[in-house]
Amino acid sequence: MTACQAAAATAADDGVYVYCVARSTAHWLLGPIGLDDKMAYTVPNGDLCCVVHSCDARPYHSDNRQLAEGWVLAHQRVVDAATKAFGTVLPMSFNMIVRDGPGGPATENLRTWMTERRDGFTPLLDKLAGKAEYGVQIFWDRRLVADTLVQKDPKLRKMRHEALNKPKGTAYMLQQKLAKATRAAIERRANRYVEDFYLRVRRCVEEMRIDRPRNTDNGARMLLRLSCLMKKGSSDLGRALDEIQKMEGISVRFTGPWPPYSFVGGG
Amino acid sequence: MEPELPQWQGRATLVDLLDRVLDKGVFLRADLILSVAGIPLIGARLSLELAGMETMLKYGILSDWDEAIRALPPDLRQPPPPGESPPERRASEGREETIAA
Repeated sequence: MTACQAAAATAADDGVYVYCVARSTAHWLLGPIGLDDKMAYTVPNGDLCCVVHSCDARPYHSDNRQLAEGWVLAHQRVVDAATKAFGTVLPMSFNMIVRDGPGGPATENLRTWMTERRDGFTPLLDKLAGKAEYGVQIFWDRRLVADTLVQKDPKLRKMRHEALNKPKGTAYMLQQKLAKATRAAIERRANRYVEDFYLRVRRCVEEMRIDRPRNTDNGARMLLRLSCLMKKGSSDLGRALDEIQKMEGISVRFTGPWPPYSFVGGG
Repeated sequence: MEPELPQWQGRATLVDLLDRVLDKGVFLRADLILSVAGIPLIGARLSLELAGMETMLKYGILSDWDEAIRALPPDLRQPPPPGESPPERRASEGREETIAA
């Protein structure tokens, strides 16, 4: 252990919390920016390193939501700092902790892991250099789209006219028919939009992952949620999203740059 | 240089971050990481809406199983994995003591 690593660890620490894998050969201190303000530092192995902090070998768990959120934010803070220092990194999932074991202390186990994964990590770091992840969410105002559909579709328009002008019993049944037909039309339109938007975005980015849409709390329905990998500074995606955003009832939300969480392949 | 910021670029929220750090990123293999019953533990217990129900169920981070199950819609309730309970922890700086279920 180097002097700076010794300073960062304490006697009780039998684990290291791993933030990311990066291209660097040296021992670096990134500062007390880790979870619980722990000192983040590098563990080099060949031409790769991991950014870690020393801790006792237990998962980070708390019922205190603010504390837990602080940890997640600290995780991202360290990954960001590593990205600034070393270029694009392979971010770890939250709470990846290596412990001392029969093989040796935690840092040695970590080095062994890095050696084993080197053949996968090195080309991955090459591929991700100069790139970042961007999140795209496309929403639609379902009611607005429904109104427009009814207005513009002659059959639906006629159904609505009849539903408004017939006596009660008949009108009710016609309203039911109209509602059903409108729902079907909305679903068809949703499917067309999803396919259209998917293709438009796909053309502008190097890689893409489809994420499960989330429920929103403001009535807008999320049609599509994507994670996109592209070169920093590219503006193709922005232009494509501009076009999509112009469509009636459609809104776009765009976040990034992120470290490439979606493109490092899990375990 | 970043792409010119469009008007609809959102401020990233905690949910955006959680979607990434809990569900994605590189994982360590089982014998290096801390786990209970071989399942990687994601220790932060966040609100069920925030963390994403599937992630919570998949990774077994629920320390209060009964409470969490009651919060689920009926068709999503599953029995807990056999023999699983969160590990008892010493109180340590910055982390709260957890009581084993």
